Amino acid sequence: MLEAVDLTKRYNGQVALDRLNLTIPPGEVFCLLGANGAGKTTTINLFLNFTDATAGTARINGLDVTTAPLETKRFIAYIPEQVMLYRNLTGLENLEYFSALGGHEYERSQLVALFRQVGLPPGVEDQRVGTYSKGMRQKIGIGIAIAKRARALLLDEPTSGLDPKAANEFSELLKQLSSQGVAVLMATHDLFRAKESGTRVGIMKRGRMVATMTTSEIGHADLERLYLEHMHD
Amino acid sequence: MIGRIARKEMTEMFRDGRFQLASAVVVILLLASLGAGWKHYSDLKTQHETAQRAERVNWLGQERKNPHQGAHYGVYAFKPKSQLSMVDTGVDPYVGVAVYLEAHKQNEFKFRPAQDASTSIQRFGELTAAVVLQILIPLLIILLTFSAFAGEREQGTLRQVLSLGVGRGRLATGKALGVAGAMSVVLVPATLVGVGTLSLTSMTGLLAVDVSRTLLMVAAYGLYFLVFLALSLAVSAVSASSRLALVALLAFWMVNGLIATRAFSDLAGYLHPTPSEVEFDTALQRDLADTKALNAKLDVIKVGLFQKYGTSTLDELPVNFRAISLQEAEEHGYAVFEKHFGDVFDRFEGQNAVYQWGGVVSPLIAVRSISMGLAGTDFAHHRHFTVAAESYRRTIIRSMNDDILVHPTKAGEEYLAGSELWRRVPEFQYVEPDASWALSHYTTSLSLLGAWLVAAAFVLSVALRRINV
Repeated sequence: MLEAVDLTKRYNGQVALDRLNLTIPPGEVFCLLGANGAGKTTTINLFLNFTDATAGTARINGLDVTTAPLETKRFIAYIPEQVMLYRNLTGLENLEYFSALGGHEYERSQLVALFRQVGLPPGVEDQRVGTYSKGMRQKIGIGIAIAKRARALLLDEPTSGLDPKAANEFSELLKQLSSQGVAVLMATHDLFRAKESGTRVGIMKRGRMVATMTTSEIGHADLERLYLEHMHD
Repeated sequence: MIGRIARKEMTEMFRDGRFQLASAVVVILLLASLGAGWKHYSDLKTQHETAQRAERVNWLGQERKNPHQGAHYGVYAFKPKSQLSMVDTGVDPYVGVAVYLEAHKQNEFKFRPAQDASTSIQRFGELTAAVVLQILIPLLIILLTFSAFAGEREQGTLRQVLSLGVGRGRLATGKALGVAGAMSVVLVPATLVGVGTLSLTSMTGLLAVDVSRTLLMVAAYGLYFLVFLALSLAVSAVSASSRLALVALLAFWMVNGLIATRAFSDLAGYLHPTPSEVEFDTALQRDLADTKALNAKLDVIKVGLFQKYGTSTLDELPVNFRAISLQEAEEHGYAVFEKHFGDVFDRFEGQNAVYQWGGVVSPLIAVRSISMGLAGTDFAHHRHFTVAAESYRRTIIRSMNDDILVHPTKAGEEYLAGSELWRRVPEFQYVEPDASWALSHYTTSLSLLGAWLVAAAFVLSVALRRINV
């Protein structure tokens, strides 16, 4: 579903991403681990075609993101570290707007049902989003992805700064989606979360993918040890 | 999808206190200026109509007198106020709208050839609807648009929106429609209600608007607003922050509205200087007093008449030589007035031509010229009326002199005419030229306004491609 082939990005000669090869089939949750500046966000930006690749290709559902920038986005949903909403609109109006821009019109009742589905309490949909906590915003982000019927998710540290309960709820929602065949690429700092909700993890360092492994085959302690080994210069 | 984006933008704006405040201020100013324009218009219109009727009654009611005294009695001619003059008073306040028509003199209006030598006639003074449309609405557009992209980028929503697969062109179109829609929702009803109420409650009744001029004016302002909308969106798309976008747009607004207009006014005055009133008068009087050619011509005519009628005294001529001499003196005056007024008028038109080129840096200058032209309050209409009034003056004088001509008198006698002669002079009727005539003076401005729109659209399309996510 998501595919990177020798994907490379240099900013003014500085390597941000170095020949990344990655394939994420439907139903897989791939977690990108690594320090700040390792190339995680760059990878996501390349899939979103927000920045041009220096070399290599990023494909979504078999389509090159640079030649079909709008079409490839129909398959994906992007959730940033902090989902931003229009503060003069209510939660429901925000969800409705983002869904509509994603190409799907819903009745009010369907949107309210989505609010329940992502675990938001009754009544919040008609409040202006200024009152929303970060956890609620991230759930709206998932709601947008569901409403969009996205077949792949690009997540950029979506749980950082969330309290454990909210982070756990977020991971549960991710699991539900991946069980329905959604491919997920998630950049994160959170080893625990990666082990819990990821099916595979990749460790990145200075733009290079230095290790990948399947989470079911490795314990949490091993993952942490491996990670620290790679981070060690 | 575009409609969807527009609707969301409008919803956001309507809920924004700043929009509510700004649009309330603009609506109040627009209504106040329209109200003032209406008051001014209807007062003047009533006064002019009353005065014009009274003038006619006075003219017809003259006692028996020599026709030349009738010519001296004279009449006032009033330039009819167009309905659109309530929107744009143009140069009317500077050049005047009434002229006294009498024997021997082509009077000036309240028009003084550059009494104000340092400033040209296009500067703006009072608050009119035109000022609101030309200066304040662009400001409102800037305030509503500067954060369209830059603000969403700062807010973080831009990445999310673009990640949904929304085309940038569609996004920009939706935002533009949103701003246009929000402004229309506020301004259109306010204008309609304002104009409607005023016209229903006023003495003059419903407006009998010149439809083509009005529609053209609406179109010209519409294009002008579009230029601002597109430029604001473009600047917002490429600016590093919404703050910078605002600063850049306000700088353009200042150049457009304050600096360029003043600079090109001054440049026009510098390139086509007009004489001071004293200089103008002195030169005029000098040429009028130079009657050598006139006297020589009269002598030739006199000798010709003496030969034709075989006589050597004026008293024995079958025609009244005084009429011939009066008419020839008028003809001498016509030539002198035509030369001097024509020269000053040509200079004003030269100034206008230079000023219009200011449209290269300021779309305001282009739309202001077009607006004045369509309102019938520009210099071209003033000149058109001046020529009509002068031609009417000549009709009066010719009628008087023709009557004297066929009533020869002996020395010491005086011929007196009565009401049948006064009636023979038709009433002054002025027909305002049509919209295409009005626009024919502003081909430069029309082209420049069009060029601005094309350029703004181009800049926007480039800016959208360079948008920084």
